[in-house]
Amino acid sequence: MKHYITEINPNGTIAVDDTILVKEYETTAGSKILEGFVPLFSAEAVERLINAGYEISGKTNVGEFGLDLLGEFSNSGAVCDGEYLVGAAADLIAKGEIKGALSVDLNGAPRRAAAISGIDFIKPTYGTVSRYGVIPCACSGEQIGVSASNADGLKELLSVIAGHDDKDGTSLPAEKYEYSLDENVSGMKIAVIRELYDKASDGVRAGIDSFKEKLTAVGAQVEEITFSLVEAAQTAWQIALAAETCNNVSRYEGVKFGYRTPNYKNIDELYVNSRTEGMNFLSKAAILYGSDVLSKGRYNYCYDKTLKIRRVVHDAVKAVFSEYDAILAPACGETAYVPYDIKDAFSRVFAESIFTAVPNLTGIPALVTNGVQLMADVYRESVLLSIAKSAEGRE
Amino acid sequence: MNKDKLDGLQQLNELCLTEDEQTVMLDIFDRMKVFEDRMQQIDTENVEVMVHVMPMVNVLREDRREQPFTRESLLEGAPEHTEDSWQVPRLVR
Repeated sequence: MKHYITEINPNGTIAVDDTILVKEYETTAGSKILEGFVPLFSAEAVERLINAGYEISGKTNVGEFGLDLLGEFSNSGAVCDGEYLVGAAADLIAKGEIKGALSVDLNGAPRRAAAISGIDFIKPTYGTVSRYGVIPCACSGEQIGVSASNADGLKELLSVIAGHDDKDGTSLPAEKYEYSLDENVSGMKIAVIRELYDKASDGVRAGIDSFKEKLTAVGAQVEEITFSLVEAAQTAWQIALAAETCNNVSRYEGVKFGYRTPNYKNIDELYVNSRTEGMNFLSKAAILYGSDVLSKGRYNYCYDKTLKIRRVVHDAVKAVFSEYDAILAPACGETAYVPYDIKDAFSRVFAESIFTAVPNLTGIPALVTNGVQLMADVYRESVLLSIAKSAEGRE
Repeated sequence: MNKDKLDGLQQLNELCLTEDEQTVMLDIFDRMKVFEDRMQQIDTENVEVMVHVMPMVNVLREDRREQPFTRESLLEGAPEHTEDSWQVPRLVR
């Protein structure tokens, strides 16, 4: 069990997940297939942090390509606190060893990790932070986010890394974003999604109830709503994620970089054995499922339908935000997770993604604090940061 | 999904699952089919597909010649390489 796949500077205060490039330091995305890969450039977000005077402590352990729950299927092994799984970067922040971290949120892993470890994490609006230098997996919905011990830390780091980048074709035009912790939470209307609340365990529901009380105490109005599209969003994001993963990881074949099998007699065996030995079963399952939903006979039924569902969910979310300032929901179904067999991973991760899929599918920002998840309309990170700030220190 | 189709997908994706993994994979396809079918119940007639969640504009600029990386530095990351090329097994006999 190790928190860092690559250690860089023992005095560094910011960790960078191993799905994000740091120049001249091995970057594997938690996968054997990228063993030995040393990038020639750093991710734009990393460059901005370094230019602002931050020092990088190291590359933190992640599950292969960030696809699992909490990094449990990293090629370097899971990180546990006692018998329970924790996210590597989140655990380091919770223990006070670092100030913050950069992570890629493609299926909710950093949000889950923040909830489990009791720290804060924000996945900002899609396109506001450059994805240049992220090892790509699910490009249409993955986003670099930041972790810290509190809302001030999130604001500080997000302010440094957000803004337009010419090198990312999906980067939005604003050069800079101004984030605030001071929006008036009193009078805000917050919606709790009943379908997600009902699916969570008793422990998670107790956390939501407690946070509702904090919101009410600062004058916010909390109401329960129904949002019947959560399962469709979950399925649609799983299909999009698998399809995009299938395409993005097709580049790993043991020739240009990373792992090459010693077991081959010809080029076909080199490709098949390098990929088969280099990737775990969860990645293989995502690739095979993604390849199937993109196939001629299934494209319209699955992939095309998914892209239409994305618009339906997007419009429904907009309708919620026309009435409410934010949504309150569980970040995950349980308060703790123990290691499990990788053969169950695809189903386990899919089941958990019901809590995290909507922000990935629709690009809206999501923030985890006090073990719960808040979502807001695009560009409204300040609403989320202000709610998180207002809840701090309230028992 | 069946064993033959799964074999085809493995071949297409240059992957080889164990017998045990193939059984699990077929079960995954069956489970996902339930959710795919349920997703069809949502009316999407006259709904346009949404590829990008945020408005995207086509960014154009003049072509310019750059060489950000040298051949040597790119080859350095390869598992096996010669002085100026990636090395692979013999392709033509």
